[in-house]
Amino acid sequence: MTTTPLLEIRNATRRFGGLLAVDDFSGVVQRGERVGLIGPNGAGKTTLFNLITCFTPLSSGSVRFDDSDISSLKSFEVARLGMARTFQNLRVMPNLSVFDNVSIGALGAFGHSPVAALLHRRGYAEDISRRTWEVLERAGLQDVAGELAANLSYGKRKYLEIARALALSPRLLILDEPAAGLNDTETAQLGQFVRQLSDEGLSLLLVEHDMNFVMNLCERVMVMASGRKIADGTPQEISRDPIVLEAYLGSDIENEGEAA
Amino acid sequence: MFDIFFVQQLVNGLSVGFIYALMAIGFTLIFGVLNVVNFAHGEIYMIGAYAGWLSITIFAPPLFVVILIALAIGALAGFSLERIAFRPFRRFRDEASLKSKAMREATLLSSLAISIIVREVAEKIFGSNMQTIPQDYLLLTPIEIGPLSFASGQFLIFGLSIVMLGGLQWLLKRTRVGLAIRAVANNPMGATYVGINTERTIIATFVIGSTLGATAGLVVGLYQGAIFPAMGFAPGIKAFVAMVMGGLSSIGGAVVCALILGVAEAVTTSFFAQGWGDLVAYVFLIITLIFFPTGLFGGGRERV
Amino acid sequence: MRRKLSILVILIAVLVVLPGILVAVGGGYWFRVATTIGVFIILTMSANLITGTTGLMSIGHAGFYGIGAYTAALLATNLHWPFYLTLPAAGVVTAFFGILLALPTMRLIGIYFAVATLGLGEIIHLTLLNWVGFTRGPMGISAIPGIALDGLFSASDIVNYYAVALAVVVAAFALGRLTHSYYGNALRAVREDDQCAASMGLNVVRLKIQSFAFACFFAGVAGALWAHTTGYISPADFRFSESILILAMMVVGGLGSLPGAIVGAVILLGLPEVLRPIGDYRMIVVGAVMFLSILFLPRGVLGETSVLAVMRRQFGLAWDNVKHLGWRQ
Repeated sequence: MTTTPLLEIRNATRRFGGLLAVDDFSGVVQRGERVGLIGPNGAGKTTLFNLITCFTPLSSGSVRFDDSDISSLKSFEVARLGMARTFQNLRVMPNLSVFDNVSIGALGAFGHSPVAALLHRRGYAEDISRRTWEVLERAGLQDVAGELAANLSYGKRKYLEIARALALSPRLLILDEPAAGLNDTETAQLGQFVRQLSDEGLSLLLVEHDMNFVMNLCERVMVMASGRKIADGTPQEISRDPIVLEAYLGSDIENEGEAA
Repeated sequence: MFDIFFVQQLVNGLSVGFIYALMAIGFTLIFGVLNVVNFAHGEIYMIGAYAGWLSITIFAPPLFVVILIALAIGALAGFSLERIAFRPFRRFRDEASLKSKAMREATLLSSLAISIIVREVAEKIFGSNMQTIPQDYLLLTPIEIGPLSFASGQFLIFGLSIVMLGGLQWLLKRTRVGLAIRAVANNPMGATYVGINTERTIIATFVIGSTLGATAGLVVGLYQGAIFPAMGFAPGIKAFVAMVMGGLSSIGGAVVCALILGVAEAVTTSFFAQGWGDLVAYVFLIITLIFFPTGLFGGGRERV
Repeated sequence: MRRKLSILVILIAVLVVLPGILVAVGGGYWFRVATTIGVFIILTMSANLITGTTGLMSIGHAGFYGIGAYTAALLATNLHWPFYLTLPAAGVVTAFFGILLALPTMRLIGIYFAVATLGLGEIIHLTLLNWVGFTRGPMGISAIPGIALDGLFSASDIVNYYAVALAVVVAAFALGRLTHSYYGNALRAVREDDQCAASMGLNVVRLKIQSFAFACFFAGVAGALWAHTTGYISPADFRFSESILILAMMVVGGLGSLPGAIVGAVILLGLPEVLRPIGDYRMIVVGAVMFLSILFLPRGVLGETSVLAVMRRQFGLAWDNVKHLGWRQ
């Protein structure tokens, strides 16, 4: 067993022109841990996600994943290392079927080569089909596998995005506002699903505005405001932290969470 | 001696550049408002030229009447073009369509189809040969200024271009229509919310853009005396290049780039054969796209 | 079983029934029409890989077609290469030029890529037109040897037909495997959302370049076939209007659909032939069919989604255990 963290962010900084979107952020995600990232709107949470997944280059600092520096990699290389993400505004591919959507993630894991297609390598196709099917069943999408993704309900699309990410067989799953737009029952179900994944050894990092969701699910919470990390601790510690309360305009954290 | 020759080429290049500029503005306006490329713009140019030629051969009016007729026909053509090739495709608004390649580029393809039809129909009616403008109307009277020699057509091009560019600026900055056009170009949704009639604004944009395009066609027809159905293709592409170089949404940028393009072509032609001059525009285009992906004059470049 | 039967039926139709019909209606001219359609089927299928499947609107395909044709013509007339060498050589040279010219434009998206391909197509056309020393300029290259093999067969309309038909079958087979497979899914993911595809571990730039290279290879082969079957080529054969014709064929047939490419080519080249008695309205027909199909059949005659489903079901391209959803390749 290694004891180094799975993901380690060291002094990550990102400037957009004169704006410091992420300012000297450091933090870790341990193996198997469920970490939440919260903060007021515009705190730089999504930018931080983009930095971690190498969508946006760092201005300075570094990101280490599984003991190697990934700061200079491309986003597809990072994904292949085992870091899968979902998007804040759902990005399913509406003109592809649910099955084909999920197979994209499996393609990332197994690689894509025109030679395999031209030479009809059957084992490769079977691997992808099998992985896709497993993940679809896992996410409860097997009955709609043949539907176009455009015909799916909003809630199902959330699962589709997570399923596509799972098909990569990631070690770290990064979720950007997974509960946004879901009602209470759906949110609870999603929380259960995500917790099951984590119980099987998947590490989680998620941004969420629904405070109940974060406080129930996560073992540790990092709080961001204006690009900086202002707190890091267990949900209990965070909910009592005066600095965090201050950042949320001094109001009660639960109410603010609902409002946001 | 060389210097005079060079200045002469510069002036010739500028007059060609102004033609490209008049067309590029039409492209830019329509792209700004609808975020689509109007491939039939070259045919508007051709229609403008034919309108002038027809009015001259049929009842030989004075020059400014010819210009007015071409303007009116251009406006009409722009209006019809919008109705036929663009409006029917605004009904695809669902998510799958907006993300689908074929739908997103439906108007690009439909305007392309319309341009083919218009050009071919013109060829069926008038033949693919060049039409000649009667001698009286040809603007080739030489005017000598010192060692330089101009054709009267060049003065018309300069004068008309400057008047039309000025008029456009006034229209865009000082009138309600112009304000509406700028609002829709900026944010179509927002414009609808504040009560701007988007449909009417889009039509206005097409009418204005097409009027400019038709004028360009007419003037070239009078100046070069060459009117044929496929005449719109080359200047259309070059105006398009100017628009891309100018940063897609910047009218000023498009005008400057059109002038640069015209001069560059004239200079190349004087050093190499005529055929290679046409290559300049495309090489400029590729270089711009590779090294200045946002155009030479900034301008927003969104992910489509 | 079903799959083998379907393929057999198609092969018999192309290699026996169609030539039979053509002989019956008078041979000669109709064979040349069929050959032209075959060349354009290859062009449309290959362009469809870039534009339909990978989603990079290409409006300069005729340029690459021209590179293939000139490569074959120059090799055959100057170096006296036989057709079985010029065909692959034209494909490889065109693919090479395709990669070379497209490499810098690969990060462009949407309309910018379309404009860049337009520029590339025109640059190729103007080079063919103006580089008189090498390409003989507007005169074109004539007396290109036909498709013949000493002692076996000599150049004729029927030989041309079979050569093109065989090439169509091979191209359809190869492009079918590329698109009707998980590799095809990867290309479609690039089309739908390239950023998202990258975040799922797909190497988007490599996929784009690969699809461009494959498409250019087959465009080059089509050009070589054109050069050998007509015996004369000039830059006028590879103008922008040809690119538009190819685009129209894709749009009419259905972007991203391989059978659609074939149907589109047959409609847009066949219809003007059928209408010939009325007069030569070829390009008007092309424009009108294109416009009407965008208006009424925006997904083309054979839309991608339904075609993919049929392919998986009818041709058994799906992996058996997953109810016709995955790919076998």
